[in-house]
Amino acid sequence: MEFKYLGKSYNRPDAIGKVTGKAVYLDDVRLPGMLHAAILRPEYAHAKILSISTVEAEKMPGVVKVVTGKGCQFRYGDNIKDLMPMAIEKVRYIGEPVAAVIADTLANAEAALAKIKVEYEPLPVYIDARDAIKPDAELIHQENGEYWHLPTLKPKAGTNIANEYRLLKGKGKDGFAEADVIIEGEFLYPFGSCAAIEPHGAIIWFKEDHTIEAWSSSICPFIIREDLANSYGMPVSDVRIHIPEIGGCFGYKSDITVEQTIAWIASFVPGRPVKWVATRQEDFTSTLIGHGIRTKMKIGAKKNGKLIAMESEILHSTGAYADTGVNLTMASTHNSTGPYEFDHCDLIGYTVYTNTPPVGAYRGYGHQESQFATERMMDILARKLDMDPFKLREMNYLVEGKINSLGEKMWKTHGDITKCVDLIKKSVYATVKPKEDENYYYGRGMAAVMKSPKGAPFSTKSCYMKMNIDGSVSVNMAGAEVGQGLRTVVRQVAAEALKIAPERIRVYNEIDTQFSPYEWQTIGSMFTTQGGRAIIRAADKLILMLKQTAAQVLKTDVDYLEYDGDWVYLKNDPDIRVAVKDINRGYITEDGITIGEVAQSVSDARLPRYSNPDKNGQGSLGVSYTFGVQAAEIRIEKKTGKILLDHFASAFDVGQVINPKQIRGSVMGGVLMAVGASLYEKLEFTEDGKLTNPHFFKYHLPTFKESPRQTVEFVETPDAVGPFGARGIGEHSVIGPAPAILNAIRDAVGIDFFEIPVTAEIMKKALQEKA
Amino acid sequence: MAEQISFTINGASTTVEVDPEMLVVDVIREVLNLTGTKRGCDNSTCGTCTIVVNGKAVKSCNLPVKKITGAVVLTVEGLAKGMELHPVQKSISESGAVQCGFCTPGIVMELYGLLEENPNANQTEVENALNKHLCRCTGYEPIRDGALMAQKLIQDRK
Repeated sequence: MEFKYLGKSYNRPDAIGKVTGKAVYLDDVRLPGMLHAAILRPEYAHAKILSISTVEAEKMPGVVKVVTGKGCQFRYGDNIKDLMPMAIEKVRYIGEPVAAVIADTLANAEAALAKIKVEYEPLPVYIDARDAIKPDAELIHQENGEYWHLPTLKPKAGTNIANEYRLLKGKGKDGFAEADVIIEGEFLYPFGSCAAIEPHGAIIWFKEDHTIEAWSSSICPFIIREDLANSYGMPVSDVRIHIPEIGGCFGYKSDITVEQTIAWIASFVPGRPVKWVATRQEDFTSTLIGHGIRTKMKIGAKKNGKLIAMESEILHSTGAYADTGVNLTMASTHNSTGPYEFDHCDLIGYTVYTNTPPVGAYRGYGHQESQFATERMMDILARKLDMDPFKLREMNYLVEGKINSLGEKMWKTHGDITKCVDLIKKSVYATVKPKEDENYYYGRGMAAVMKSPKGAPFSTKSCYMKMNIDGSVSVNMAGAEVGQGLRTVVRQVAAEALKIAPERIRVYNEIDTQFSPYEWQTIGSMFTTQGGRAIIRAADKLILMLKQTAAQVLKTDVDYLEYDGDWVYLKNDPDIRVAVKDINRGYITEDGITIGEVAQSVSDARLPRYSNPDKNGQGSLGVSYTFGVQAAEIRIEKKTGKILLDHFASAFDVGQVINPKQIRGSVMGGVLMAVGASLYEKLEFTEDGKLTNPHFFKYHLPTFKESPRQTVEFVETPDAVGPFGARGIGEHSVIGPAPAILNAIRDAVGIDFFEIPVTAEIMKKALQEKA
Repeated sequence: MAEQISFTINGASTTVEVDPEMLVVDVIREVLNLTGTKRGCDNSTCGTCTIVVNGKAVKSCNLPVKKITGAVVLTVEGLAKGMELHPVQKSISESGAVQCGFCTPGIVMELYGLLEENPNANQTEVENALNKHLCRCTGYEPIRDGALMAQKLIQDRK
């Protein structure tokens, strides 16, 4: 379909503010009377707190208040209320808040922190769910099972299992009886950090008028608002959250993380705003971390390659609190089939308490962790069946009419993965692979991937738009701009829907719950799909209002009118018309009497027919799907084991490209994040739960010179849900790199790896062992 | 103990009275309230705090303020002339190099330092400069594109 404003690379409306240094991020916010907080972290990852002495700290210069968790009566959380703002009787991970100092300057607060004395009694530490799940393991939460939780969750009291999610399709395990070939494998996607360049932070202000005003680098202002109101017994409307520019999110600034802690601290100095911004070390230890997912997988197939049955167990080391991890386990579990149809599935996911920082959203939300297993297994199965891995996959893709693990029927409008395959074959496999030479081994590997959002029953996004007197339009939404470029998307979709040039549409900057229309949270690659729908719905309403006024002016019926952005006119005679700018605040008749309404509207959209899981763990939990194929071309340096990524190709069916420059950037950035996870990045915990690499010089993010040449291509099979056929793409490109690269390693040197990262040291050792 | 330290910043001479060991990033952000310079890590790895001192791009998070006594300092706020963006800013804002924008000020200052000093910097020099900065959003290609666009604009200007 031809569009006027979609498919064109308009510049971002926020780029100039960012290149001039004028864009305001959380740490740039300064308020009158603002105080600064520093937070004490424990010496142990799991210990009873015997005593805390704050006397000496209170005497230090500039100190206004020293705060502990004592007296806190509430727990919080969106899914399981297992969180508390500050440790009370025990600490459960190394980055947990134990006490805090509020002072006039950050330096004074930090200096006083060293004077707080805490006595601990250490408890056994569990980093790995395999240990924490053992029957004799010390309980990390004695209260497990007693906490309030969503009715769909099943915590196991008396264990460290915060939830068990099981999905059954067809005959479940019994389906393996129909298989000719069965393979099994175990894979690990270890702990990582989203590591946005902007560390997380918040400013909270308990005001004398019994309201709370807060600023956060979060993507969930409305959740923070509701959660704080709930904890402090206030009407939701009395809590106001501002979201300034966000310096990257990638998942870990979603849900409520640091805000409750800063609120607890600030509640001791009512009348004064309190700022806290994570140091880089705290950003690693004391916000959310990612992954920690071990996947045990079993696949059964017919001799001809038809997939029959899948059994997978997702063992999720979820960290000290499970509120932010529990849905992630579920997403990882039901998406572990990847983009394939299995007649029979028995998929189980365990969310297990451990003594690391809590695991939460990381771009990809469970998909890359379990599909890492699936896509390695597909290559292994192809070898076992002596089949071409492309052919094996093509026989089994979730194409139109197939049924996924959740029982959802795939529609044509979910996209065409086979066209993505064709693009990858051309961009990567059309040439002959270089032969091994003196210095290098060469390999190629691919992965086919599937992503759905992880929605919720109330996962709404809203749009408010008003047409100004000159016909320009202001659009206000609450989608958090974390860099993904959603303001450009809003501008282009609104332009298309309103038939007005993007230059005449101004999109919101800051989010402020006092003025912004409701949005659940900006997660799951859902903004384009749902937010875009909300824009179209609001635009349709606005156009209808214009037509209603025009119908009075032109003395006809609404359905007899057309609208083109500048005029409303008779369908069969465009010369009989009225200008939009003359009716958008009502129409002033000759005698000054004004008729019609102001052209402004509000609407919202959610995932249509999204449901909770039923007793078999199935249901309409995906709704929207995006499929794609990715491939890697690598070289392995013989001497060092270093893996050089020469070329990485991605092809996704995104329904409709809205902004070619932005979508290419989004995919390339996701690829590089996952390249980091595949080759370099891993949070290293000692046995006693200390993090040994909470710094960028130890936790290595890929640099310019480590970034591959990338091919990024799109198929455009229009979606049924998204605006003008567009689908989500924000997270998808992180799913394929790990299996594609490890499949390429296998292709290059015949060595199978089952966990990442494959660093040069690990590769070199494996090469030596093979020799 | 606090001392008076004088330097020029964005064309204006200024004197601050601070601990001479205070880091330049903190002086710029907390004392002078120039918040365009960002802090992204604790160990001078990420590069987002980069400023230009006496024509050279340097990280300001490991530089004590006493070291810039008498120096000519430029931060990201000092590049545009009114509404007119510096060629580096213009190119970086249009090449797709800006996503979240948090690494952007550091990269802008790095390229300013490199290209104003040496408009004919070769590919290796440009790549070495970019390799000092962490970007989590873009995959770097659009930043390289922006650097090359900026270089062309600067070469054509001279």
